[in-house]
Amino acid sequence: MAQDERERSELHQVLQGAGERPDRSLGITRRTFLHRSLLAGAGGAASFGWFPLINTLDLSFGALAPFRFAWISDTHLYPRDVNTRFVDKATRAVKEAQAMNPPVDFLIFGGDLAQLGSPVELDLGNEILKDVKARKVFIPGEHDWYLDMGQKWMQLFGQPNWTFDHKGVRFIGLDTVSRGPDYWTVKKMTAEERMGHMATLDGSVAGAWAGVGRDQLEWLDRTLASWAKDKPVVVFSHNPLYEYYPPWNFWVRDWREVQEILRPFSSVTNVHGHTHQVLYNEIGKLRSIGMLATSWPWPYAPEGVPALTKCMVRADPGDPFDGVGWSRLTFNAQGKVDNEYVMWRKDVFAETPTDSGCGDNANQVLHPRVADQMWPSYGAFR
Amino acid sequence: MRVRRAVFIAAGAAAVLVLLIGTPAQAHKEKHTPEQVKVFQEVFMEQVRAGDLLFHGDEAIQKKLKVQLSRTGMACAMCHPFASDNHPHEFPKFQEQIGKFATLRDMINWCIEKPNEGVRIDPDSDAMKALEAYIYWSNRGSKLDPGRH
Repeated sequence: MAQDERERSELHQVLQGAGERPDRSLGITRRTFLHRSLLAGAGGAASFGWFPLINTLDLSFGALAPFRFAWISDTHLYPRDVNTRFVDKATRAVKEAQAMNPPVDFLIFGGDLAQLGSPVELDLGNEILKDVKARKVFIPGEHDWYLDMGQKWMQLFGQPNWTFDHKGVRFIGLDTVSRGPDYWTVKKMTAEERMGHMATLDGSVAGAWAGVGRDQLEWLDRTLASWAKDKPVVVFSHNPLYEYYPPWNFWVRDWREVQEILRPFSSVTNVHGHTHQVLYNEIGKLRSIGMLATSWPWPYAPEGVPALTKCMVRADPGDPFDGVGWSRLTFNAQGKVDNEYVMWRKDVFAETPTDSGCGDNANQVLHPRVADQMWPSYGAFR
Repeated sequence: MRVRRAVFIAAGAAAVLVLLIGTPAQAHKEKHTPEQVKVFQEVFMEQVRAGDLLFHGDEAIQKKLKVQLSRTGMACAMCHPFASDNHPHEFPKFQEQIGKFATLRDMINWCIEKPNEGVRIDPDSDAMKALEAYIYWSNRGSKLDPGRH
């Protein structure tokens, strides 16, 4: 661990540079307030327990035409008859995003629509998302991809990476999941076995699957070549674009190359899923914001939580609506971007170590699993 | 060593142990040989591997042990990768969700019944011991801190 920390520190020094920070116009504030729609009486909330409190991270980009967009991700849908809770939560997020007033300019779905990549799961998710009438853009998660190597996903949602300009901002969607190393051919795995290993966050078999890849790095470089260095860029990715915790693929393995491409731009924001938790990080001029899942919260990793992250509260495992939700992002008239974590229960950020998802892990030392390293079963009981 | 051979090794292992170290009454009367220590460790690790599979939702081992830990598709590891946030080193303690002073086994059963909507298991069953072995093994080196909330 000491060596890891040394390497991280050296990399940080190289990438950070002297006095290099996100654009100085980017003020960060946090505030907590009641959901506006509920304050206005909408939503039919009958008890205080259903009043979500929303925490806000404000980022200012400079003058822009105002607009809003929403992020939903990590619904991890099983077939409807297997898990109704996940369906209920995805449906709730979609209804709330659709009810935003003024409406969103677009919705970004940030990956892991399905749990095991089956056509039934992906079709179910597509059906639920049809209730959002605004433009929708999609990036894939690993759970969507490795049953049929993205065939069904691409049939439904198109190319996994893309770019568009909207009211002075260049938006880029990256595919960070499809370039995993081949761990299945030599082991003669079925498609279901391949998917099963990919769907196990703490598995040992799929390895460092998260990455952007040489070809997509070149595409990213070309895509940004024509963009002024002082104009805002927002990059959507399923995995975070920095090294948080590689054993759970809370990173992309080529994050250094990504940083090099983004480094000349003064205002870059990465919005990512996969980690199912509140996260905030800065490296050089790039800021990264981790989004909530609608399905369930992951615990914070035992190491690597960015120092700039104000950790979320410990979730109540008995309440399926705690620790999860979606995000509402608003470019307001002052050119500020509000990221509002719409968590469906009480507080988002922890105020004391006792209630913190990070503070809760004091004294905890963890080790990787063993059963999936055994030849020839690799995690299956035979 | 394959899990199948090992999950139900308890009876066989007991016989091996008797052969290696004599009857239980003679335990600790002789110096331990490296072979004995290796057998002790093997017995433990087989339970760890079995618990690992249960923890990650393997259906075949659940069928073999006649348990159903989940009916929602959720597995223990989906909220507890690397058995994190289990905090076995903090039990026994007052467990808020259960509303009483509880052991790790109590909490395992609570998770099976509530979030996973599975079927509660016998606290002294092979499945429970295997889950306990995996959770403790994954958290080895954690500071013993019973009662911590």
